[in-house]
Parts: sequence; structure tokens; C-alpha cells
Amino acid sequence: MEQDIRLTEISLPSVNDIHDEALINEFVAGIGKNVLIMTPSFPFVFIGRIVEVVGDAVVVDVKVTTIGELENRLWYIHAHQIEVFYIEQKGMPRIPELRDDI
Amino acid sequence: MKRFYHVVAIPIRIVLNNFGDYNETGMMYVLKENEEKVKEAVKKNPFTPVDLVQPLCIRANQGDTVEILFENKIHYATGMHFQEADYDVLNSDGANVGFNPNTLAEPGEKILYRLQFNHEGVSIFTDLGNPDSSDEGTSINGLFGCLFIEKRGSWWTDPETGGPLNSGMFADVHHPFAPSFREYAFIFHDEMSTKDITGNRPLDPVTNQERESTHAISYRYEPEQNRKRLIEEGVVCPDCEGEEVHHDSWVFGDPATPIFRGYRGDPAKYRLVHAGVKETHVFHYHAHSFFRDPLNTDSDVFDAISVSPQSWYTIDTLYGLGSLVGAFGDFIIHCHLYPHFGVGMWAINRVFDTLQDGSQCYPNGVPIKALQPLPDRPCPPAPTKERPGFPNFIPGKVGCKAPRPPLGVVGGRGLTELERNAAVPTARPGAVFTDPCIIEENPAVQEINVSLIELPLVYNRQGWHDPKGRIYVRDEDLEDVLAGRKEPEPLILHMNAGTCLSVNFTNRLPEVASGDAFQLVTRTYETSFHVHFVKFDVLVSDGANVGWNYDSSVLPGETIRYEYFADVELKAWFFHDHLFASYHQQHGVFGSTVVHGRFSKVLDPKTGEEVEAGAQVTVTHPLIPDYRDFALMVHDFALLFDKDGCPLNPPEFPGSQDDPGLFAVNYKNEPLQFRLGKDCDPAYSFSSFVNDDPVTPILHCYEGDPIRIRLLQGAQEESHSFNVHGLRWKKERPDIETEFQSQEHIGISESFTFDMEVPRSGDYLWTFETEEDLWNGCWGLIRAYDEEVDFLIPLEDRPSPPKRTKPLPVCTGNPPPPAKKVEVDAPLNAPVKVFHIAAFHVPIRYSKWGEQDPYGIIFALKEDMDEILSGKKEPVPLILRANQGDVVEVHLTSFLESEKFPFPDGIWPYPPVKEQAFYPPSVRISLHPQLIQYDVKSSAGETVGFNPDQTAGPGETVTYRWYVDVAVGACGMWDMADIRNHRSLGTYGTFIAESRGTQILNPKTRTPAVITSENVILNHPFSPDRREFVLVMYDGARLVDRDGCVIIDPVDGILTDVDPDELDDLVDTYDNGSRGFNYRTERLINRLNEHPILKDLFSSKVHGDPSTPVFEAYPGDPITIRLVNPSERRRAHTFHLHGHYWNTDDKDIFSQVKSIEDHVVLGHARDLQLHYGAGSFFNFPGDYMYRSGNIRWDIEQGMWGIIRVHKNKQVHLLPLKNSNAKLN
Repeated sequence: MEQDIRLTEISLPSVNDIHDEALINEFVAGIGKNVLIMTPSFPFVFIGRIVEVVGDAVVVDVKVTTIGELENRLWYIHAHQIEVFYIEQKGMPRIPELRDDI
Repeated sequence: MKRFYHVVAIPIRIVLNNFGDYNETGMMYVLKENEEKVKEAVKKNPFTPVDLVQPLCIRANQGDTVEILFENKIHYATGMHFQEADYDVLNSDGANVGFNPNTLAEPGEKILYRLQFNHEGVSIFTDLGNPDSSDEGTSINGLFGCLFIEKRGSWWTDPETGGPLNSGMFADVHHPFAPSFREYAFIFHDEMSTKDITGNRPLDPVTNQERESTHAISYRYEPEQNRKRLIEEGVVCPDCEGEEVHHDSWVFGDPATPIFRGYRGDPAKYRLVHAGVKETHVFHYHAHSFFRDPLNTDSDVFDAISVSPQSWYTIDTLYGLGSLVGAFGDFIIHCHLYPHFGVGMWAINRVFDTLQDGSQCYPNGVPIKALQPLPDRPCPPAPTKERPGFPNFIPGKVGCKAPRPPLGVVGGRGLTELERNAAVPTARPGAVFTDPCIIEENPAVQEINVSLIELPLVYNRQGWHDPKGRIYVRDEDLEDVLAGRKEPEPLILHMNAGTCLSVNFTNRLPEVASGDAFQLVTRTYETSFHVHFVKFDVLVSDGANVGWNYDSSVLPGETIRYEYFADVELKAWFFHDHLFASYHQQHGVFGSTVVHGRFSKVLDPKTGEEVEAGAQVTVTHPLIPDYRDFALMVHDFALLFDKDGCPLNPPEFPGSQDDPGLFAVNYKNEPLQFRLGKDCDPAYSFSSFVNDDPVTPILHCYEGDPIRIRLLQGAQEESHSFNVHGLRWKKERPDIETEFQSQEHIGISESFTFDMEVPRSGDYLWTFETEEDLWNGCWGLIRAYDEEVDFLIPLEDRPSPPKRTKPLPVCTGNPPPPAKKVEVDAPLNAPVKVFHIAAFHVPIRYSKWGEQDPYGIIFALKEDMDEILSGKKEPVPLILRANQGDVVEVHLTSFLESEKFPFPDGIWPYPPVKEQAFYPPSVRISLHPQLIQYDVKSSAGETVGFNPDQTAGPGETVTYRWYVDVAVGACGMWDMADIRNHRSLGTYGTFIAESRGTQILNPKTRTPAVITSENVILNHPFSPDRREFVLVMYDGARLVDRDGCVIIDPVDGILTDVDPDELDDLVDTYDNGSRGFNYRTERLINRLNEHPILKDLFSSKVHGDPSTPVFEAYPGDPITIRLVNPSERRRAHTFHLHGHYWNTDDKDIFSQVKSIEDHVVLGHARDLQLHYGAGSFFNFPGDYMYRSGNIRWDIEQGMWGIIRVHKNKQVHLLPLKNSNAKLN
């Protein structure tokens, strides 16, 4: 019985809130920096500069995605969609520069 | 919803084209309401095609119950058997199978079939009252049709009138939520007996010999030979040759074959059906693409797909008509097998850019029928005088060849006023009426200069050569290739996705091709660069001459510019000439361009320099793993001469399309006849120690490298079966939920990418594995090095290979020793299953009719050998099972003896192969499995490249260790020591990788089953019990009858007489041999001889049960069928099980559902998990036939059997533990 009560108890902030908050803070700290983000849905990959964070959506000036038609525009990427990301930091690897010209 | 159709089977004269070619013994299904109309129309128009004479196409929605009142007006019993349907097999099977009641209709009688359709797609219906493969049969004469199963809630209208539609090949299908679409029936069929308008067999005007068999689309075909006659007689285009204008409506008007009409952007679905009897055709759709599985957006994208008899696909056109770039004009759709294409198996998809209300005409004055716009699409603009729309702005002249495109030809013409009005604002060479590159802003542009040239090609070390080789080369390589400094290979170009490709193509061929034993002198004066897959303006950049489009080819010495856009990573696209392809594609006129991911760099694998072309390259990418990229292009009809100038496998007369020439991969072959070595032992044919490396491609990589194989077929007519030994790839490359495979059937123009890693060093064999291909040299190696070599750069993102410590192996002329260590990468605590296997001679009884193979060679557990030899146990193909996580240790012993082979002199006469030669039987043997893990240096079950010996000689035992890392299900398993003298005799079996924790039980006793049983219960702690039925489909067997005479199948098994005139060229080499399942066959000829009634041929009441396996179950029992084909012939088969269906990818529950498996050929291995269990959706008891879909020549030759679902409890069959069946 005791266990059942525990299962229905909600404590705030939840671990998910903490996770989201940390993610948001990370992106806020990264405003102006280059970022690589991967999402499970199309177009899967974004490379560009973090412009701002609106609520829990990251606004990225996307220079590169998987297809050219969707580049060079602002993308609003919801935090829950971000599976993998890397914000370029000094002293850490640079995000490769991807260019189409052969 | 309930629907009702009254269908009548009638004899009808079918006129196949406007030249009056006809089939006087035609038959068709027709709705009762149209029966009199069609008969009347045919009576009034005996020499012209009648619209109503078309295959019956009816429709229903998913979930509908459909009642078919079938009335038979054929003079013997016929029926309608529906695929993909749920029904009571006792009253609606449309057949007379096993102990079921007969559900055929007698002449003049009616029968009611009640069917339910529970998944979208195509239900092909055919007759099984007369399965005769000869000209007397029903399917061959047109007795087939389709029921299209639409989404629930759909309705359909007539595309011309917008009114209701009861039947018809074209419909506009609507749905409350989904977009309306054009639905087009595209029904391939072949071999229909045809006469010309004079009542004689049609002749080819050039050779004056009979032309190819009929290959048609929906009762129509448009042979080149008919059209050519009009040229010869000066009626049209007197300066034309023939093939280059075969599809030209400016010259001849529109063809008799269907014109699939729509407006730019219309969603469109082709219901691609093969209702014919024999060939596996390749459907190719110009400038459009589609998912292989339309329900799976992670499925591969194709624009060409093989389809075997009685199988089907839904071709759901991506981006709608005109594809991504919104092109318009005429898009040809055809069977890519050139002899079929040439004889008329083509049709046109006509995409209009202006509204057609019935008031317009084509340039030749023929009215354009009205076409309703789809209700949910914008209405196209009405034509005006200034903008008349396609095709009326094109400055062509009726009766003459289509004009060249504006701007494209260097030094050519500009635009007329009407053309300028129709052109895009950015009109430029190769992109005039559609801008293919506008999709992306400022795309990268790649310009390539390509020429087509003629030069001699040498195919192997023995001097087999093609004096008239014709190949594409980059202009930059032209001198080096012609001077012999650069080895000719198919041109493989590389580009990145998102690139706009501009090609400057120059025709450097001589205007006239000379004649020889294979071909007559032909004026191949214009050629092109026709591309697949990529997006372009079809009017000017198709590299073809189709319908009312321009002729986008050039004359000798001229250059034309084309432009294409590669929208996404599209794997490899095929290119070839489209003007004289039938004449010269088999001389080498083919190549491919590989579209890599954006930002890829393509490097020479030896120097690391960036390159633009090459069949073997290394690709690096900043984000995704680097890989080796290999292109293999197989080709048949290679018209070769030996070193003395004698033609190899010449046809009976020059110009014949009857399978002339041989085979090659990337213009090379390595025939096994030259690889016997000094000991004359076939077991070392693949060994580089004995014979050095083959001249065919050796694909180089380091251990652990990712590789991508681009598999394409360049020419010309036949199916091939590509296998890689020791590696595997995901079937649907973009999809995570998909099965593994290590084999792929391929037809001309198809393109596949196989993505995999090479886990360990060693030589991996790749093959086109059917006997005749392999015999004639279509094989090579993937060589993975364990240490650095100076001719292969390491991949940048992988650890550097260790420095070389030992020299590379070299040819010694002697067989290699066996492996010193036989190890496999597996967890230390993995359970080990040990099998002691013997290979030995034993006569195999194939049927109750006395048919047997007195020289059989089988694999069996050693413990069973004595009982099999003494006749206490029947020989069956070896079945081994192990669970995921098991290590399998196989000890194989050879008991073969030279004198027990049928042809110890080394010439195997039947079943035959092309280019017969001495190849004595080997007494060594091996066992090669597919799909599971092993080290190819010890356990591949074959002696390949510089790997150690893995065969066993008489009295010797070889050991293999395999690891079952994934429950891959059915795997083929076969001998690789002697593919000529062993396989026909039975040296094959199946390995089944079951789920971890599976126990197999005897269905009679529920005690642990004998591991080699073909029929077991799979018992698993977490899953319900399942029945597992193993079907080893084989062909190419050499059987004798009860009098000891060799049976020459398929001819000896044909139910009615064969016309002696046809006998000589009736069958191809690869049609020969007997066939069936599990060393069993039930040839219908035996039954017919005993009881000459066609309708009773499958009846067990009359003939008893067939000799082939009769599997038994109770209603609702879960069933998995393990279906493999490890045998040898190239003719692809279809497998169909009556009344049941399954996911086409057993690892993906969202994959398409079908009741057929098509193009089953050597290496095919699938696991069919029947939906709803035995008896399907309704769990109806009865006898369900499993069979091939090939009327020619499988069913009557014995490739069929029964799954029996019992209503009553049987003594010999215990119910499954979880069975819900209510048994009496």
C-alpha cells in the first residue's frame, strides 16, 4: 500500500523538469555559438548558430541540414525533439565546415 | 460493405495492336453487363483492337465483402482464384485442390464466390481449371484480371466522364480524407499465341525469321517490327532505321498500348501486375520514382523493379506525375528486358500541362479525349493559341522523326515562338520547359563531359573478346582508354546529393555497326545518354525519343547537353543509350552515377586523390563513417568471340534475340572451365592459390571497413542472383526494422545499394550464383586485408591498419592446406551445437510416380546415413537448426566416389549450360551457409581466393564453426566444391536460426523433434507455440522416370502437345531440369496420363495426395514457413499460398502484406509468418495449395503441394498447447 502511494505522489520539480531546465540553460549559455543538433524526425540534422531560446524551443540559424532546400533559415527546435547536440566550445573539436562546392 | 460482380469467362478474339496482330484463342473475364457489347464489338471489328477487350479490373475497399457470381462459357471447367483474399477454401477457392469440394464452374454453369479483402493492394485472379502451360492454357490466352483493394471509404469515377465506374483499367479514386489519385492498371503478360493480320506467325522484316514471343501490357503490344515495316515500305520517315523511332508518335502516331493520362502533379498509383506465365519482367518508369514498399517510408526508392508471374506491386508515384520537378510530356514505361521492349512491351504515361476537355487534337489530328481534373487539385490552364500546351507547341512534322530539342545540341537551334511561350524563364540547354535545379537555391553544379566510343574489349585472360565493344568514357580519359593506358570499365561517375549535374554528351560511334555471327549490319547513327532516377525535363533531357517529345539524341560527332538534379542521396542511377539499345547495350553501353551524401569527398583508393569516376572508390565524409564504394554491373548477351575469333554461343541466325552470347561483370568474366588447375579438381576453381586471382573485380578494403556495393545490371534480358558469401545487409537500407539478406535478384536497369561492414580479414566470394552465370565467370572477391598494403589508403576515421609483417600470398598452383585453426567470434560461454554430417551418394525417390534421381548426393546427419542408405529413412534436404546465441560446430565428411557420378567423363549434358566444357566431378564437398557469422578463412564452406581449403575429400572431415548472432530464420546452405556436378543431384539444404530459447517438438508426439525435420512445433517460453514448415524450393534436378529414361523437363511435363515447330527454341538453357519442393515433385503429366481430366489435376480425391509435402495444422495454428531456394537455375519463380498472406519483411510489422513471394531464385531465403494462422482470417479448415506462380513451367512440372487445415482432431497431429481451435 505504501508503495502505491509513492507511485502516485508527484514532487515538483520532477526529474524531467530538471532535465529540461538544464537543457534550456545549456542552450541559453550557448547563444551565438555554433551547434549541431540531431532529431529523430526529418530533417534529422541541423548545423548552425544558436540565435535565441524561446521558452523551451531553441532558435537556430541553420546553415546545413540533410537537404539544401531547408537551409539558411531559422528553425525552432523543441527541446523534447533534441536527441543529440553539441555546442562548439573553445578547446573542443570544431563542428566540420560542410560545403557543397566540389 | 458488400459488393457484387457477375463475371463471365468467354472465348474472345483479341486484337493486340493496330497492325492487326491477334490471338484467335483468346479468353477473358468480363462483367455480364458488358458480355454482349464486347462480343458485338469484336464481331464488327475483327482486325482492330476493341476497347472493351481488356483485362477485367474491378474494385473494392478494404474490409468489403465481395460476391462474385462466376459464369463459365469456356468449353471446359474454369474458375477464378483470388490472391490476397480471405474466403472459405471449401467454397470459394476457384480451384479443385486436395480433398476440397470442386469450386470450378463447369461449362455453362455458375458458381458464387464469397470473398473478403482485408489489406490494400491487388488481388490478381486467374484460372486453375486448366494449368496447362502450352498455347492451349487459360492464363496464356488472357484469362486473368484484377480486383484492386482501395482504402476503406474510397469511391471511384471514370477519368474521362467523371461518372461512376463498375470496371476498367483506369479510374480516379477518391477518399474523404486522402487525396484523389489516378489509378492505372499496368498488367504485364507474356507468351500469348499470336498471328499477324494474314493469319501467319509474325515475321521480323530484317531477319525474315519469326519475331520474339508476345510480351504485352493489358492485351496490347506495339512491336518495333510492325512499325519498321512502314519505314521499309516508305510510308513514313524513309531515312529512319527503326529502333530509334520505335516509340516516336510523330512518325507513327500513338501506340496501341495503354496511354496513362494525367495532369502535372496528379497523385498516381500504378497497379503493376504480372498476370503472365513465364518471364520475370522489369518495370521501368522514366523520370519517376517510388518506394519498393509503398506502406514503408523507410523503404528503398526505385524506378525499376522486377516482377514475376502472378505477382504485383503498387507503384505509388513519389511527388505525383512529373515527379519532384513538375515535368510534363510523355514518359515511357516499359519492360526493360530489351527483347521484350523491342517486341512491344511498352506504354506511355502522358502528363499534360493544359486542360483537356475533348476539344483538342494531337498533331496528327487524332482527338485528345477529355480528362477530368482531380477534384482536389487546381484546374490546369486551358490551352490557348499562344500556349497550346503539350504536345502542340513542339515544331514536329507528322510522319517524320521528332525534332531535336531547342538549345540542347551544341551549335543547334534556338526556340520557336511557341516554344518560348512554353519554356521556363530560366530556359537553358537541357532544361527548357522544366527547370530541374530550381528546387534548391544556387545548387552546386557539376559538369561532366562524356562520350560514347567503340573499341575492342577483352573479357578474360583466355582472350574472349568483343571486337565491337561500345562504352561511355569521360572525355578526359578518352585518350588513355583508346591507347590502352587505362583499363576499360563501365563508367561509374560520382556526385553528391543536392547537385545540379550538367552532362555534355558526344556521340563518337561510327554511323554504321558492322555485321557478324550475332548481329546484322545496323545503322546505329544516333545515340544518347538516358538516365534513371534523377529529375529532369523529360521533353529535352530524357536521352530518348518517346511519344510526342523531342528526340533528345545526337548524330555522330555532335554534342548535346543534358541537365539533371539529384534531390537526395539516391544511391546509384543507371544510364544507357535509348536509341539503339537493343542493338548495342550488350556491347557495353551502360554505366552508373552514384549519388553520395552531401559533403562527401570521393577519393582514388590507391592514391587518395579526389576523383570523379571509378568503379572502386573511397568516400570520406565529415560526419558519417567513411566507406569503400564498389560498383558491380552484371550483363548478359555479351557477344563475345574466343581468341581465335570464333563466336561464343552464337544464335541460330544473326539478329536473333534467342539468348545469344555469354555473361560478364564490369566487362570481365572468369569462366570456371579455365580454373581446373593441374589436378582437374573443381573444388579449387575459386582458389587464387591454384589459379591466381580472377580478372573480375576484387573489391579491396581493410578488416572492419564499411563498404557499399552498388549492384546494377547493364544488359540485356535475363535475371541474375547476386550473393555475397560471409556478409549480409539490411533489406531496406534506410530502415532499422528490416530483415537481413545476403542475396538479391536483379534484372536489367535495377539498382541496389548494400551497406555493410567487413568484420574480419579474408577473401569473401561474391557471385551471380545461378549455375550458368557462375560457370561462365560471374564471380569475384571482396578482399579484406589485416595489414597495410601500399595500394589501398586506410579510411581516415578508422584506426590505421598494422604495418605489413608478412608478404601477400601468391599463386602456387597447388591447393591450399586446410585452416590451422577453426575459430569463431562468440561469447566464451555460448552453447555449442555439434553436427556430424556426411555427404554421400544415394538414389532419391522424388515422387510416387517412380521418378527418381539414381545418382543423388545428399547431406545428412552421420547417424542417419546407414538408415538412409538401407532405405529405412527417406532422403530429405538437410535441415539444421540452432538458436540465437549458439555456436554451431559442423564436422562434414565426404563419402563421394568418382564412379558413382552420372558423367565421370566431365561433360554434364543435362540440365545444360551455355559454353559446355570439360569439368570432371569432384569427390570433395563443402557446406556453405548464408547469413550467420563465421570467419571466411576457415568456415565459409568453400575454398576461395587466398583462404585455406575448406572442402573435404573422400574419407576426410572438415570442421566449420559458425555463430548464430541473430535469429535470422531461414538460410540457404549448399555445396561450393563443384557447382556443375553436385547441385543438380541434391547438395543443398537449409539452416534455420531460431530465436533464443526455442525448443523444437515433434508435431505428432510433442516430444523433442529430430533436428532435421521439415515439420516441427516451435516451443518458446514467451511465445505461443508455432508450427514451422520448411520448404526448400529447388530446380535443375536431373530425374529419370520409372523406366529409367531421363526426364527432359520442362518439355516432358507439358500437359498438351508442343508444336514441333516451336520445340527448338521453346526453352532456354536455364528452364531445363525438374523441380519441386524438398526432393519431391508432383508432375501433373503423370496425373493427366492416368486420368485425362484437366480440372481434377490437383484433386486428392482422384489422385491421392501429392508426393510433395502435405503439411498439417488445426484452424488458427500460428505458422511460419521457412522458404529457401538453394538450387541452381536462373529462371525466377513466384511462390503463392492460397488463402493466406504475410508481411513481406518479417522483421517489420508495418511492411506490405502479400500472399506471394516473387523472383525466388538461388539464395532466396524468407520467413513467412502467416497472418491469423492456419485458415487465415476466418480460420477456415480445408486444403490450401502452395505453389509456384509460374504457369510456364513450374506448376505442371510439380512445384506445388498442400497445407491441410483439419477441422477434426487427428491421431497423428497433436493440437498446439495454446490452440483455440474447436476441434471435433
